[in-house]
Amino acid sequence: MGIREKPTRMDQVQSWRADFPVEYLYTTGVAGERFAKTLRERGMLAATRCQRCGVTYLPPRIYCQRCFADLSESWVEVPLQGVIHTYTVVPVRATGEPSQSLEVIAYIRIDGTEGGILGRVAVSPEAVYIGMAVEGVLAPPAERRGAVTDIRYFKPILS
Amino acid sequence: MDEGVAILGVGVTPLRPISPELSQRELIFEAATKAYIDAGTEPAEIHSFISISEDFHEGTSITDEYTPDQLGAILRPVHTIAGDGLQGLAAACMLIQSGIADLVAVEGHCKTSNILNHEEVFAMALDPIYERPVGVPSHAIAALEMRRYLHETGLPEEAVAGVVVKNRRNALRNPLASYGASLTVEEVQASPLLASPLRVLHTSPYADGAVVLIVASAARARRKGRKPVWIKGIGWATETPWLAERSWGRATYTVVSAQMAYRMAGISRPRKEIHFAEVDDTYAYKELQHLQALELLTPQEATELTRGGDFEGPLPVNASGGSLGMGYCFDATALYRVAEATWQIRGEAGSHQVPGARTGVVCSWRGVPTTTGGVVVLQAD
Ligand SMILES: [Zn+2]
Repeated sequence: MGIREKPTRMDQVQSWRADFPVEYLYTTGVAGERFAKTLRERGMLAATRCQRCGVTYLPPRIYCQRCFADLSESWVEVPLQGVIHTYTVVPVRATGEPSQSLEVIAYIRIDGTEGGILGRVAVSPEAVYIGMAVEGVLAPPAERRGAVTDIRYFKPILS
Repeated sequence: MDEGVAILGVGVTPLRPISPELSQRELIFEAATKAYIDAGTEPAEIHSFISISEDFHEGTSITDEYTPDQLGAILRPVHTIAGDGLQGLAAACMLIQSGIADLVAVEGHCKTSNILNHEEVFAMALDPIYERPVGVPSHAIAALEMRRYLHETGLPEEAVAGVVVKNRRNALRNPLASYGASLTVEEVQASPLLASPLRVLHTSPYADGAVVLIVASAARARRKGRKPVWIKGIGWATETPWLAERSWGRATYTVVSAQMAYRMAGISRPRKEIHFAEVDDTYAYKELQHLQALELLTPQEATELTRGGDFEGPLPVNASGGSLGMGYCFDATALYRVAEATWQIRGEAGSHQVPGARTGVVCSWRGVPTTTGGVVVLQAD
């Protein structure tokens, strides 16, 4: 069989099943460590600011992607507040298992920065809209691990 | 390009949902055999070989070591590009323009049906510290883009459904396409939501396949009896790897790629100078977004076009059926579309031939979560 002659039934072909058993450590680096520590200890978001470009980076980076300046000494802290830039309502979990409850996932532009964060928003799918002001809800201080998952979810800011 | 670089030969395997009859290497062998015959050459005459592959789509690490034998490239210059198909084609242009090679084979493939964990492959592409732990499914990233695109353009979701109807209908006339169908906008909008507003039928289904293109210098391409299609301009760009930095509503990588390709091709009025387009439609909204970035159609014009017949009109888009109609084959997708454009310009596209197709554009995208894409302008001899 092959290019000259093709099988017509699945039981005529064979496959070999295997997986990719690899694990990694990801060094968080200067920016990642500062971000984690600030979130864990003060419940704030650490960002870097390029004065020359007038741009604040979140997630923080120790370089400016526009002018290539070194930003490792140029930090600001901003609260977990922002605006929904875009959102989706997801009925199925990443694993493919059907989920009874719908969840709102949004990309949130964080106030005072040019960046933002991906997160879940505790709001009904009918009520969410682009431009909605939201704030982050953090895990209690004792439960924080210094990871982005310390931000449990976002919720609408009631005005 | 001054000296001229041409596509001299094309070989593809038909895109199919599964391909149990051949291994990955054998699929490539089939495509390569066809390409060498089409170009009137043989592997011994090829000066350099380029393979497009991505380890996680192959299921092997250091995949470049898997390339040479099935292309006839043992003991020859070979390199692998883990990128978009058009980045591979650009590398072939550079080899030729720099005088290193006169004849280059560019190969792309994907056996999508052999990947059992597409979601995990996607998750590994996200930043491990800021993005991956949030646990967002891949289609949700596309849905976030689609929502922002509709918000910024004011288009209704039905405009996106119109792209699906058109491309799957076009695929009915393409024997290489796997997913031709007669659908209505209502049927598309009744398909299940993956992540609102993105529905199952807005998403191109996976397909297995392999493509080989033979690219030649002007001197080689002008030999008697050949049918060169000229690469007039090519461009590629990456916006940013960070979800936090991207524009979400616009395909900025296409804007930059198109500027580069048009400048090289001497195209100043794309709407007048380009006769047809093969445009990435991995997700249906992407076709509309890419056409705008290519300065070919406004979102409103593109929407209008999906309603009419698609082979004549002012700008036939995805006469092949696109990825929605042919099937999505990861980084090989762009090379399938270059193959389609080559046949259109040669007048060999059969029942989906665009009349008067002399100058065409192909626009590619590397899929979620990337902001990488390319543009190539192809022209008749
Ligand atoms: Zn700067």
